[in-house]
Amino acid sequence: MDTSTVNLILEIFHYLFFLFTFSVITSYVVLSLISVRETIEYRKKNSFVNYKDILSSTISPSITIIAPAYNESLNIVENVRSLLSNHYVNYDVVIVNDGSKDDSLEKLITAFDLEKIEFIINEKIKTQPLRSGVFKSKNPAFEKLMVVDKENGGKADALNLGLNISKSKYVACIDVDCLLLEDALQKMIKPFLEETEAKVIATGGVIRIANSCKIKGGKLIEVNLPKNLLVQAQILEYLRTFLLGRMAWSRLNGLLVISGAFGIFDKNIAIEVGGYDTNTVGEDMEIIVRMRRHMEEIGEKYKVSYIPDPLCWTEAPESYKIFISQRNRWTRGTIETLRKHRKIGFNPKYGIFGLISYPYWLIFERLAPLIEVIGIIYFVVLLILKQVRWEYALSFLLLSYLFSILFSIVALYSEELTYHQYKKKGTGFKLILLSAIEPFILHPVILYSAIRGNIDYYFNKTIKWGEMERTGLSSSSSS
Amino acid sequence: MTTYQYLIDYYRELPFLIKLIGALITLSVILIIGLTIYLKGIRRYQRKKHADILKFKSEYEVMLVEFLYADDHIENEVEKNSFNEWLEQIEVEPAIQDELDDTIKDLSPIQQSIISKLRKEALVKSKRKIIISILYKLMEEVSGEMSDSIKVLYIETGLIDYALKKINNTEWSIKAKSIGELSRFEVKEGHYEVVKCMDHSNKEVRKEAHLYMVNLFQFDGLYFLNELKTPLSEWDQIQILEILQRFDDQQICDIRPWLKSTNDTVVLFGLKLAQIYNQYEINDTLIELLSHKSKSIRVCVIEVLTHLYGLEAKDMLKANFNELSLEEQLSFFTMLEKLVIPSDEPFIEKHLFHKDFEIQLLALKILKSINEDKYKVLNNLPADQKSKAMLQLENTI
Repeated sequence: MDTSTVNLILEIFHYLFFLFTFSVITSYVVLSLISVRETIEYRKKNSFVNYKDILSSTISPSITIIAPAYNESLNIVENVRSLLSNHYVNYDVVIVNDGSKDDSLEKLITAFDLEKIEFIINEKIKTQPLRSGVFKSKNPAFEKLMVVDKENGGKADALNLGLNISKSKYVACIDVDCLLLEDALQKMIKPFLEETEAKVIATGGVIRIANSCKIKGGKLIEVNLPKNLLVQAQILEYLRTFLLGRMAWSRLNGLLVISGAFGIFDKNIAIEVGGYDTNTVGEDMEIIVRMRRHMEEIGEKYKVSYIPDPLCWTEAPESYKIFISQRNRWTRGTIETLRKHRKIGFNPKYGIFGLISYPYWLIFERLAPLIEVIGIIYFVVLLILKQVRWEYALSFLLLSYLFSILFSIVALYSEELTYHQYKKKGTGFKLILLSAIEPFILHPVILYSAIRGNIDYYFNKTIKWGEMERTGLSSSSSS
Repeated sequence: MTTYQYLIDYYRELPFLIKLIGALITLSVILIIGLTIYLKGIRRYQRKKHADILKFKSEYEVMLVEFLYADDHIENEVEKNSFNEWLEQIEVEPAIQDELDDTIKDLSPIQQSIISKLRKEALVKSKRKIIISILYKLMEEVSGEMSDSIKVLYIETGLIDYALKKINNTEWSIKAKSIGELSRFEVKEGHYEVVKCMDHSNKEVRKEAHLYMVNLFQFDGLYFLNELKTPLSEWDQIQILEILQRFDDQQICDIRPWLKSTNDTVVLFGLKLAQIYNQYEINDTLIELLSHKSKSIRVCVIEVLTHLYGLEAKDMLKANFNELSLEEQLSFFTMLEKLVIPSDEPFIEKHLFHKDFEIQLLALKILKSINEDKYKVLNNLPADQKSKAMLQLENTI
């Protein structure tokens, strides 16, 4: 190969990387603008809503909270108490003990005075069989609670059993360790009830990080910024994702994922599409994609809604090991879902879903880490070949770094003007500082996890869910 | 000077792209610094605002409670001439001020001083918001004469004028908010303006206008349903029904025209009314609706007829069972559970092996309730001849 050919190849590479970076940045800017507009609209619309009527109404739709639990003995009783303290009138709670090896079930039986009952399950979705059976409380105070003990089959399988058991019109699928605010259900059900132009098939909510927050009796008392830098960085990341990203996708009706930690679904549609896929580790994304695909294919107008209120608080990984395992799983989940539904991609038959949402996820979520790694390798090659044009390299690096800070600050700005959760003096400064250092402490780990996820997906099929060590929200305290 | 000149020359020689990136970097730095300072300012403002709200809230709460308990003079006045009557008298807008002046003379000196103080405070938007939020809270906690006193206070502090002025605002959220406020304080003077908003292009404004009419005029306020072209969401329906159920006078108007509406959401709302207010006399209209084009309406009609013991409908549905959708069939079996008679047994038996598990289960339950011996015979069938529901039942007993 002569020098001119090499130069041409290098030139093509330069332009491809430039095009990719430019489109990433443009998409972020566009999404931020849409998101800000949508948040303002949402806040305006809900500033005078009377939620009391839905609380006392006898015709408010029924909701079943389905919470799968696997070896959650440490906090299960507290968490269930928290779920039972919701203000919504017409709801019940189904805890699916997914073959836990610990004493979760015994603790629940003792704490809630449970007894085994005969219960006929309409097995619309195939699941693992029951183990000890179905339990209800003898105490009328816990009449909303049902505990189902089954053989282990994974989170998706446990959720499917919950779908089979539920008698409600809507199901709220949540992680049992999440702290749900008392007004969460009434706010989340609203999009289903107020939409008249299209059928709302699911609503997702914001997930906030509860590490170091003060929680008492299953209630959030005080929001604190944790001392752990990794958790702090995740807070910033969640703010960006939920306040800037998902809000905009909701506006475009292009949401492809509702966090597995908290989402409400139209039960009939969820069952019609066959429930959660037990063969993926990204079941939360996969079911939304499948539900959307189903609605597109039957030609019915639909919407996946999203609300920005901070209603669900969860524990984020505090160690790099757990964090990497979590992100590795998220990557594999994304790959599995996008591959399974590749028919949708760039297919005009699926409208915005096929032409915008799917390609965005494919290019900017699925392929982005790979493109980034290729970019790094390419840079090393240029270094070896002494072909680096430093004025360009440094300028682009500095610009992308400053843009990432700017993007985080816009997320903080959005948070301050809307929900203003981190009220303590000095926290604002810490978060700004964090915006500057977060690209060095979180991004490389996310990149590493994504690459590991790719490797595991293609070369290590046996890996399923990673471990998540819990320190427990109920033991969290003010920092 | 030489270094400076060198930098200028260096910059001039840079390629265009680098110059562009340089400009973007400068812009980013300015934005980061600007937003950081602004963010700090916002946080400081938010903290101060929060502290002010707490301070004013406790201050105003004391004043308002003092107003309510200051003198029983106003209570006597309200007893003589109920607040609603009084409002009706002053419904013609230009007369409001004169009437208010008369009323304010009846108040005790303490109450008058509280009103004049609150009137001054209400000049500031943020303070006005706090006062209104406390009044809302008080309205929810008290009833009868006490709530009438709050309404008087709302009017005499001039808060009503702000709300009436805001109805004509072009911004939909302000308009909707002001209608909501007038509705909560049951201000009839805004009626003419609110009526204009019944067909507003923004659905939030429309919703607030509908709620206002129902809140102030009860069932009479539902007249808008006769002409309603836009959909009435489930959320709106729940809110309207909740308001209606708060009233002592539960004398419902004729809902038949709504059941015949071309707007499906109005029909669904009419069906909810029929169920909640036990409208036995409209069974004929309900039966007509069994052939409505909308499946969700047909399913809902079966549910209402179940509630209203529509035996005539039961026979009709039984005769046309195979033409019904699965949802309707399921609703019908729920109806049968309640309205079954022994002569229904052959029909039940026929559907013991229905393709839907829920219907199988309901059929078994109904059979057990009318003929337990036959049900026991079914239990003795060989496993391969049993339905899914029979097998499930067997396993759980």
